[in-house]
Amino acid sequence: MRHVVTETKPLSEPVLLILTSLADQPRHGYALIRDIESLSGGRVRMSTGTLFGALRRLLEDGWIERFEQEDTARQKQAYRLTGVGRTQLQVELDRMKQLTRAGFARLRASEL
Amino acid sequence: MKRAYEMLLRLYPRDYRESFATEMSSAFEEASRDRRSRGWGAYARFAITELAGLALGAGMEWLAKLTTDASVRGRYLPDRLLMRPPGVSWEAHYGGAGQHVPEELGMAQEQAEVLVNRMVHAISHHDFRGARLYSDEERQARENLRILRAKYQINN
Repeated sequence: MRHVVTETKPLSEPVLLILTSLADQPRHGYALIRDIESLSGGRVRMSTGTLFGALRRLLEDGWIERFEQEDTARQKQAYRLTGVGRTQLQVELDRMKQLTRAGFARLRASEL
Repeated sequence: MKRAYEMLLRLYPRDYRESFATEMSSAFEEASRDRRSRGWGAYARFAITELAGLALGAGMEWLAKLTTDASVRGRYLPDRLLMRPPGVSWEAHYGGAGQHVPEELGMAQEQAEVLVNRMVHAISHHDFRGARLYSDEERQARENLRILRAKYQINN
């Protein structure tokens, strides 16, 4: 199913990290905090206030959804990407890839 | 520290707390254990970041609540106190809207409604085992509600 992306603004770092963390599997709050810390090489340690504020906005935008897991305790509600969220992440990563290529190309050109 | 965290959580809008407070406390406790094992310096930094993030987050959530149309917000954060529970007549529910409801009773009512919603969600995802568990818990919550209503002499 193809999802139309209406938002073209670059994603904020917390949002990008949350979407990336949810790209491979559903995760609950603390698992997200740990995975984000690992993804950022220990640089980003998201507070619960920041994390759940971002999760609330992503739920509002329909980029993520709640995911009920049988083997998970109730206080550990898991979240997963929706099709729209996955498309948004893909668009953002493409944008970053393009910018990275352009940046490296200019650096190489300046070294010649 | 946990007490301070839970006090700050009360600054958030009620509909937000209903959806996220339990998860936030749980995530905070796990993170707290992890940070404590890394030494007091790491724990102190963690505590300051958490409490400041919570206070800031509460302000931002109130701003979001006040600037978002209730019908839009209700799609993902339903205000269950404003919703009529199944089996309760419109007159009985909204007729007593101005009546003071003890906090203990309000919490029990919310808990029962949350369990109903989770049961419906579980059924819609064909999770019948989970639905049965929620159903059992909901029955207990309803019984608790009945006892509290009798205690405060409040009818349906």
